Amino acid sequence: FLGAGGGNDIQWCFSQVKGAVDDDVAEADIISTVEFNHSGELLATGDKGGRVVIFQQEQENKTQSHSRGEYNVYSTFQSHEPEFDYLKSLEIEEKINKIRWLPQKNAAQFLLSTNDKTIKLWKISERDKRPEGYNLKEEDGRYRDPTTVTTLRVPVFRPMDLMVEASPRRIFANAHTYHINSISINSDYETYLSADDLRINLWHLEITDRSFNIVDIKPANMEELTEVITAAEFHPNSCSTFVYSSSKGTIRLCDMRASALCDRHSKLFEEPEDPSNRSFFSEIISSISDVKFSHSGRYMMTRDYLSVKIWDLNMENRPVETYQVHEYLRSKLCSLYENDCIFDKFECCWNGSDRQVEFLSLCTSDLSNIVMTGSYNNFFRMFDRNTKRDITLEASRENNKPRTVLKPRKVCASGKRKKDEISVDSLDFNKKILHTAWHPKENIIAVATTNNLYIFQDKMN
Amino acid sequence: MLGKGGKRKFDEHEDGLEGKVVSPTDGPSKVSYTLQRQTIFNISLMKLYNHRPLTEPSLQKTVLINNMLRRIQEELKQEGSLRPMFVAASQPADPLSDNFREAQPAFSHLASPPLLPADFVSTMPLESCLTPASLLEDDTFCTSPAVQHDGPTKPPPPALQPVKDSFSSALDEIEELCPAPTSAEAVAAESAADDSKAQPSESNIHKPEGLLESRTAESKLMDPLPGNFEITASTGFLTDLTLDDILFADIDTSMYDFDPCTSATGAASKMAPVSADELLKTLAPYSSQPVTPNQPFKMDLTELDHIMEVLVGS
Repeated sequence: FLGAGGGNDIQWCFSQVKGAVDDDVAEADIISTVEFNHSGELLATGDKGGRVVIFQQEQENKTQSHSRGEYNVYSTFQSHEPEFDYLKSLEIEEKINKIRWLPQKNAAQFLLSTNDKTIKLWKISERDKRPEGYNLKEEDGRYRDPTTVTTLRVPVFRPMDLMVEASPRRIFANAHTYHINSISINSDYETYLSADDLRINLWHLEITDRSFNIVDIKPANMEELTEVITAAEFHPNSCSTFVYSSSKGTIRLCDMRASALCDRHSKLFEEPEDPSNRSFFSEIISSISDVKFSHSGRYMMTRDYLSVKIWDLNMENRPVETYQVHEYLRSKLCSLYENDCIFDKFECCWNGSDRQVEFLSLCTSDLSNIVMTGSYNNFFRMFDRNTKRDITLEASRENNKPRTVLKPRKVCASGKRKKDEISVDSLDFNKKILHTAWHPKENIIAVATTNNLYIFQDKMN
Repeated sequence: MLGKGGKRKFDEHEDGLEGKVVSPTDGPSKVSYTLQRQTIFNISLMKLYNHRPLTEPSLQKTVLINNMLRRIQEELKQEGSLRPMFVAASQPADPLSDNFREAQPAFSHLASPPLLPADFVSTMPLESCLTPASLLEDDTFCTSPAVQHDGPTKPPPPALQPVKDSFSSALDEIEELCPAPTSAEAVAAESAADDSKAQPSESNIHKPEGLLESRTAESKLMDPLPGNFEITASTGFLTDLTLDDILFADIDTSMYDFDPCTSATGAASKMAPVSADELLKTLAPYSSQPVTPNQPFKMDLTELDHIMEVLVGS
């Protein structure tokens, strides 16, 4: 990325920003999840107010070959409402924790969205025609007096303004006592899993009144609880394999063919602690906030507070690569513990399988060779596994000149601060980038700041 | 938050503490290690018990903080910091079970924040305000943990709960003034008013003589139970409380003893505790005196007034 390199280095440019300009952020507008669909044409965001906003990419304009289509609002709907648990006298937040798209089977699009307790399957369909010319109804819907009907005609479809409708097709409720943190659709496209702090359930997309518990780590005595589930994902190719990560920095791979209740893992991935880095906060910073399989399924990536780790599924005792996201925070852990930032859950994502990258994959072992994750001060980081180069970029309205390449950022950990560097003490810890997404096929990325969605794309020549 | 310069001082201070890896065995840095451990311990307790969300708190966060406290507790145990009489409870705080019981009684959230094993509190350097059991046995004027006894001092539980809630919120205000960690059993401070555990022997000096007789009668009814100083989670309400020490230490509890069996004295005002004024009078001589060297906590008497109002029944 930085400086001269191979022609394959991506140069990121600002494309669009969505959301309010105010500095005063409305709580409901806080973005809580971002996800491209399988074609990349649609980009969904969920927010703390329980709403889902879907953006659609314009079809590429043949005349404007220097930029890819822009994303414009396609559909907005209220997915979840706040609820009240009367038994516990506590509110159930409507915040959307995760959105996952189903692959498209027909004209409609389907996605799963979940809050802490309930998963919903939404159908998003277009309507651009409507029937006209009924015999018994007027155009406005009023019924005609049958005695006035003298001739018959066949109603025909006429074009109308495009209307995008979202309707809930399934509601998967009452299966989670604890807070849902992950949903993952199986490669069979018929089942999916949902994971909360202590349990993972398996659902069939058609069946809402039954789900099967496949992992249960709740101890008999809750006072003995020391570890919770933090994320879970199905393997992209093997429909009986899934992984789940824990607050102690371990990842367990389970095979559903082994037993009905996958309490015994098939593989346990854990890196031994580095004694030179030991501190009071070792356990907390080892807690994994996200886990993502690579496209091939050969690798998986985990995000903990300070780093991103790449694991080879064939090697359990340590990751094959580790990338430091913001190592300069290691000396600030006590403050970050006090202000709760140490509990921030950063996500991570792989690059898409770009045509260019696909060609490269003949040389490399995997299509997945770039990882992206967020940090503070509206910075986000990318690591190239092949070149071992990394870059820090900023999502800010100051950089909003389209087709201008983003300037790399640098944080100065200590000592003399060079020009253009930012010192650790100047970082704004309220501006955190927790959610990022990469277009499945092109070099377009979506980066969510607190309440804004930034879209960047690579500079096309 | 670590904004522009907002916490610069604290950061620098913290840098000094945590910039390097400090082990307990390093000579000069042992102090900073202990200091850091103490700070983290305090912060952890505050996080667990000062948080009153409308929604369920994050189980992951609770578990991680819990583990932190447990680890520190283990370390302290190994270092022998715990007084022998305080047997470390094996159970951790159970914010987990309280918040996530599958079918919780409706009032359970009123009882939360949940019980804190006393050893968490006891590892605080509060030894100076805890009365050794042996002393208490000699002290006929001190009431023993009255809650242990069914007869005299069992306050009707249902009546207790709503009072507890507003009381605990009043106490929370005081807690904010208090730099040291406090435990949730501050809600039990009401019943702890009957406890003599927090009574250093100085309280004898200030006992109104007219109450001598009744006190003797009382003490016969309520045997001091030195064994009660084995603090376990199950007797959490009897826990010797930081806040309790601050509020009621050096105060003659006989004035507002809730014991219905007490023969006619001023204390026969039973469930009606002393007026705020009387309390203030007893406190006045002590207001300049910090309760313990470790708690330079200046009582705001208006806060106490507020508490008394709440106790009296809002």
